[in-house]
Order: sequence, then C-alpha cells, then structure tokens
Amino acid sequence: MVFLTFNTVSEFLCLLAAIIFLYREKSIAWKLFIPFLLLTCSVEVAGIYMREIMQVRNYPIYNLYLIFECGFTSYFFFYLYQAYRYRPIWLFTWLSLFTVMYATDMVSHGGKLFAGDTATVMSVVFVLASLYFYYLKLKDPHFVPLIHSAPFWWVSGTLFFYFGSTVCNTFFTYLSNYESITYSRSIRYIIFNVLDVTMYIFWSYAFICRYRQRRSSPL
Amino acid sequence: MQISSKEIISLIGLTSIIFLIAPLFLILYVLSYNRRKKRHQEETVMMQKNFETELLKTQMEVQEQTLKTVAYDLHDNIGQLLSLTTITLSSINLDDNKNTAEKIALVEDLTMRSIKEVKALSRLLHGEEIISRGLKAAIEFELEWLKRSDKFKVKFTHNHVPFNGDSAQETILFRLFQEIINNIIQHAKATEINISLQGAVDNYQLIISDNGIGFDVEEILARKAGMGLHNIIKRSSMINGNASIVSSPINGTTITINLPYK
Repeated sequence: MVFLTFNTVSEFLCLLAAIIFLYREKSIAWKLFIPFLLLTCSVEVAGIYMREIMQVRNYPIYNLYLIFECGFTSYFFFYLYQAYRYRPIWLFTWLSLFTVMYATDMVSHGGKLFAGDTATVMSVVFVLASLYFYYLKLKDPHFVPLIHSAPFWWVSGTLFFYFGSTVCNTFFTYLSNYESITYSRSIRYIIFNVLDVTMYIFWSYAFICRYRQRRSSPL
Repeated sequence: MQISSKEIISLIGLTSIIFLIAPLFLILYVLSYNRRKKRHQEETVMMQKNFETELLKTQMEVQEQTLKTVAYDLHDNIGQLLSLTTITLSSINLDDNKNTAEKIALVEDLTMRSIKEVKALSRLLHGEEIISRGLKAAIEFELEWLKRSDKFKVKFTHNHVPFNGDSAQETILFRLFQEIINNIIQHAKATEINISLQGAVDNYQLIISDNGIGFDVEEILARKAGMGLHNIIKRSSMINGNASIVSSPINGTTITINLPYK
C-alpha cells in the first residue's frame, strides 16, 4: 500500500492513457511519451522503495532521472517549436548549459544531495519555454481550436508543474530539513501531489486530443 | 524579528498556491484571446464574402448601365436614323432623276451614320473590356456618349497616372463614377460637368462636380431617398477609400472619392 500515492496513481493512469492513445502514433516525439512515462513510474516506485523500505535517501535516483526529464522535455518543446522554424542552436545551447550546471551540482556535493539548483534553473527555463509557446500561439494569425489542441494542453500541464514547483525548488534545502521525520505530511509533498495530479490530468487530456486529431486526419 | 519555521512553511504554501493560480489565469486568457481570434477570422471571411457579393452586384450594374445606354441609343439614335432612311427611300420619285440622286446620297449618308452607331454600340457592349483598358479610358468612353446628348458641357482632366489598385477596386470606382453621372443626369439639372482623375504615389482621387441645383446632403442622407448617396459612401469604404459629398444650391455638387493605396 505504501506504493499507492497520489503521485504514483496519477503517473500510472497517465502512462495508461499514453499507451492507449499514443500506441499507434506516427510521430516519434509523441510516441516517446510511453517510454518516458514508464521511466517516470519506475523511478517513482524505486524512490518510494528506497525511502520507505530501504530507509535511505532517494536523491541519487532522482538526480539521474533529472537528466532524462530535462532531455525529453527540452526535445519535446523543440519539436513543438519546429512548426515555427525554431533553430536547433537554442536547444543545444540550453542542453550544454544544463550539462555544465548539473556537473557543477554533482561535483559540489558528490551526488549525495538533490541537484536543486539545476532543477530550479530547469524549471525557470521550462516556464519560459511554455510562455514562449503561448506567445507564438497568440502571434499566429491562423486560428487553431486550442480546446482540442494536444500541444496546448501538454504545454499548459508543463507550465502548471514547473511554475508551481518554483517555490518548492527555491526553498528545497530549507524544506528538506523538516522532511526527515514525516515527509508524507510535509508541505513539499502536498504541493508536489497537487502539481503532479494537475500535470498528468492535462497530459492525459493532451494524449486524447492527439488521438482524436490522428483519427480525424490520419495523414 | 525572528520568523518561525511554521510561518516560513505557510508562506511557501501560500506562494505556491499563487504560483498555481497564475498559470490558470494565463491559460484562460490565451483561450479567451483565441476565441476572439476565431471571431475576428469569421468576421474577415464574412467581410470578404460581402465584398465579393458587392463586386458581383457592381459588375452587373455596369452591364445593366451599358444595356440601358444601348437601348436608349437604339431608340433615340439608330432608330431615328433608320426611320429617316425609310422615309427618304419611300419618298424617292424615280422619274425625278436629280432629286433621286440627292435622296440616294442622303440615304447613303444615313446608312453610313447608322453603321457607325452600330459599331460604337458593339464596342460599348464589351463593357468588361472597357474597364480592362484602364479607368481613364473607360471614363473617356463613357463620356463620349454623354457628350453626344449636347445637354452638358463636359470637361475631363487627368494627370496620366495609371490606377495602381486591383481590378476589383477599379471596377467599383468606375461604377461609382457611372452612378454619380446618372444622378447628375437625372436630378441635378446641371449644364456643366467636371471630372478630374488624379493619381499620386500613395493615393488616387476622382472628383466629379456639376453646376446643378444641389441638395441638402444631411437631409438626403437621413431620408430613404438617399440610398444612392449611401451606396456611394458604402462602396467607397469597401475599397478602403472615402467619399466626400459637398453640395449647395449656388455652387452645385462636388463628390470626391479618395482612394489611398495600402
């Protein structure tokens, strides 16, 4: 029962939605959600196992997951921007910056703590990326029904999660001092539960939109 | 003042809630803006359809005007010439050689004039072609018929700058010209008509003035009878231009259509 949390349930349901609605997807970017969400679920379960069963800090596994999270999310944003002739140089610049920050974070505390600074900067970059997507949509003279737009709902979910987690990431070190005894009742746990559930609801809806779009125009 | 950890955690929670509400409003704003964009796009399509309908109507009116001119000319001009030819032919006395020769010469002259009139009518029937030759040529051609009536002293001035707008604008502008001239013929009781066509780098101007009885612009526009004037104003704005109507009993009427290029 320890594995059944709001986080894990929402992640598994989102993974299920991805498998059902993106299984026959032709676009690689969208199809990559299945392995990415599978990885997310595995990391979450492994994290709980380390924390609750092994009684050890689970930061190393989340540090490793951060690389995949950043890589996939950045790639997906790049995929969305491609329609607007976005240059790959920005993607590579950002990934290089992330690598440097991540390496610095890892070296500074030997991987024993969570790479909070890198995660904070990453959140800010993804918030900016989401806002830039909105800007492009507002500027686009062609009307797109956003209510049924898969990219829009994916970006909205991402914005919710990364914007909402900014405060927690900023005060990560401070909050972690108060979590050692009862993590499950900590403010960070509650906030991340809300953020996770919100984001995965948005993402699941985005997968449904994508499925409907593919069904209505198979080419 | 020392802030307790409980207060800091509450502050973090509160800030996070604000950070959650902000994207929600942003999403709502984007969705509402998008709805406005849809409405705007629908309005643009509607305006485009209206413009196309009005253009079609205008083209039909130009054709109708041409047919009216043809009908009047057949009745008043060619019809008269042919009647005169018939009368002359029936009055020929074959015994009177001198008189017969004169009458045949007259019939020949009448027939030649009829042929000339028929040729002119044939040219007029190709109304679309007239506009395709340019606005100035179309106006000149139209004025030729007006001058024949000898009712008006017509003066046409232009600065030889061709019209740079699209063909739809040109057709509507030509129709506006026809409509204004028709109004002068029917209502103005004028003896002089001045037409000026002036092209510039960024705009085109058509000024038509007469020395007629004039009218109260405000009153006519307020009445249903002012549909013709409303039409001139509406059509001018449809081609991104504007029409100014100035009229007084002493100075007659001056209508200026100004068409700025985009």
